[in-house]
Amino acid sequence: MKRCPGEAKPSRSLFRGGASLAFAWRSLVRQPARATLGVLGVAAVGALLFDMLMLSNGLIVSMRDMLDRTGFDIRISTSGELQRGQRLTNAAAALRTIGSLPSVGTALAIRFVEAEADRRDSPASDPTSVANGATTGSTQPVTVEVAIQGVMGATRPWTVLEGRDPRGPNEVVVSQALAAALRAAPGEEIALRPRCLSGQEVSPPTRLQVTGVAEFPFELVGEGTAGGSMAVLDAACGGSRDEADIILASAAGEPDVTAAAVRAAEPRLTVATNEQVLGRLQRNGFTYFRQISTVLTTVTLGFALLLITVLLTVSVNQRLGEIAALRALGFSRGRVVADVLCESLLIVGLGGLLSLPLGAMLAQGLDAILKTMPGIPAEMYFFVFEPATLGLHATLLGLTAVVAALYPIQVVARLPIAATLRNEVLS
Amino acid sequence: MILSAAHVSRVFAMPAGPVAAVRDVSLAIAAGDHVAVRGPSGCGKSTLLHMLGCVDTPSSGTLLFEGHDVATLSDRARSLLRLRSIGFVFQRFFLLPMLSAAENVELPMSEAGVTAAARRSRTRELLDYVGLSARADHRPSQLSGGEMQRVAIARALANRPRLLLADEPTGELDQTTGEHIAALLDRVNADGTAMVIVTHDHALASRAGRVLTMRDGRVESETTR
Repeated sequence: MKRCPGEAKPSRSLFRGGASLAFAWRSLVRQPARATLGVLGVAAVGALLFDMLMLSNGLIVSMRDMLDRTGFDIRISTSGELQRGQRLTNAAAALRTIGSLPSVGTALAIRFVEAEADRRDSPASDPTSVANGATTGSTQPVTVEVAIQGVMGATRPWTVLEGRDPRGPNEVVVSQALAAALRAAPGEEIALRPRCLSGQEVSPPTRLQVTGVAEFPFELVGEGTAGGSMAVLDAACGGSRDEADIILASAAGEPDVTAAAVRAAEPRLTVATNEQVLGRLQRNGFTYFRQISTVLTTVTLGFALLLITVLLTVSVNQRLGEIAALRALGFSRGRVVADVLCESLLIVGLGGLLSLPLGAMLAQGLDAILKTMPGIPAEMYFFVFEPATLGLHATLLGLTAVVAALYPIQVVARLPIAATLRNEVLS
Repeated sequence: MILSAAHVSRVFAMPAGPVAAVRDVSLAIAAGDHVAVRGPSGCGKSTLLHMLGCVDTPSSGTLLFEGHDVATLSDRARSLLRLRSIGFVFQRFFLLPMLSAAENVELPMSEAGVTAAARRSRTRELLDYVGLSARADHRPSQLSGGEMQRVAIARALANRPRLLLADEPTGELDQTTGEHIAALLDRVNADGTAMVIVTHDHALASRAGRVLTMRDGRVESETTR
């Protein structure tokens, strides 16, 4: 067969010179309303998909970040749970034993006591407000829930942002949320009413000196935190209790090795590294969210698949005559198939790009709603972006585009040229 | 010889039983031939044209195109053969509405891997040939029926085919426009391209060197001018 001047050997590539992509683009913009609907539809389901992927790992990533930020690798308690459970006794001796282990860097014991305080008026718009049901200008006293952390050891589980660490038995640092709620600055006094035993009535108020404002990684939403020495709790609750809710330790070497050493030294206690805590949460606490995200991801992809398949099938069916004519003019089967595939990829690609900012906005809104659940640390996020999420999002949408194009591709690939041309004339 | 068909038949399997659209047709097309195929609706004209154009294969008989047995060629090989050696003109034009006239003409050259510079040059030449240089950037929706068919003829000639096949090329046009298209097709043939035209139009058929009249799938008569 002869060749035209300037003619190159036709390539077997489906995407030679981007011709199919350009062709698909023209086909898309030919029906702007349909293309827009398709892209917006993919953007909506893509945004949901993006959020579900962020949710599936978000809690773990967020929790790991919080655990790492404390600077401690090992958590020692009676139950091994993160929550405040049964207290360990002889805390001072246990802390000494653990702190003297060669593989342990630093160690501290913490006892938590719940308390209440009367909120002072603060602007309702203050984002750090922790009061329940507070209104601007209210003259009614509003109660602020407070967690007091009494600490024993050479180091502290908080980071001082302003002022200094407490030293005396009536000195505390407060979280930013509590400082805002009580309008307490370093140097001022606050009055806390401790609930020394769980479920017990509050004790008379204890006046404490605020020496600084600090960051507490695990502060709960709707709660303020104050931290001081164990002597603060002893003074507030009366008597001296050698108890702690948890001992935190940093490892001088490998956390697993240190954890094993602690277990050997204190066999009555439950010892867990941060990774073990995360593993337990992944298996138990966060399974619910993973399952939800898996189900919703599947449903979302199913919707995307149906949407694109319908759009492409309608588009192809409307152009059967043109496609048959192109085949008659010598367009290969691969080329017309590539055109359809590129159209699918374009719809999904454009929708996918739009879905990212849309998904990010949606995630912020959903995160704010989910964080109103009780017992959620203020620094914890349900939707956390990771670069791998973007890759997985793109891969899943890309696969959806390919799978969605399979049926219309089959229609195009199996199109009987002669019969279609004949039918087009008859119709 | 461009094409030779020996005893070709085409039978379609239908729910009510097999239907023979073309029966035992033998035909040869040489370079520069101008053949018209006439006959009533349903006599098998278009089916014969589709077989000659290698978009369909005979159920029996032998069809050789440039010496190649079309039945033995792969789908890809037949596509290449159509791309390089055969031009198609359809009753309904089948121009792509989202492309300009020039882009429609360029399309088969693009598929054949012709360089961009050569494509542009050939497109200008062809649009000038069909008298539509001034409408190069117009979309099909901005062209009249006659203009669309002229663009379709330019597109069919893009890769310099040896054989041009036209299925009712004036079927959608008024008489005057149809005569212009017929004159253009005459010119294409006079410039060396063999041509087979399927038509109901007696005037168009009468311009051909050979006229085949079909009935019930068979060539009933052949007249030579």
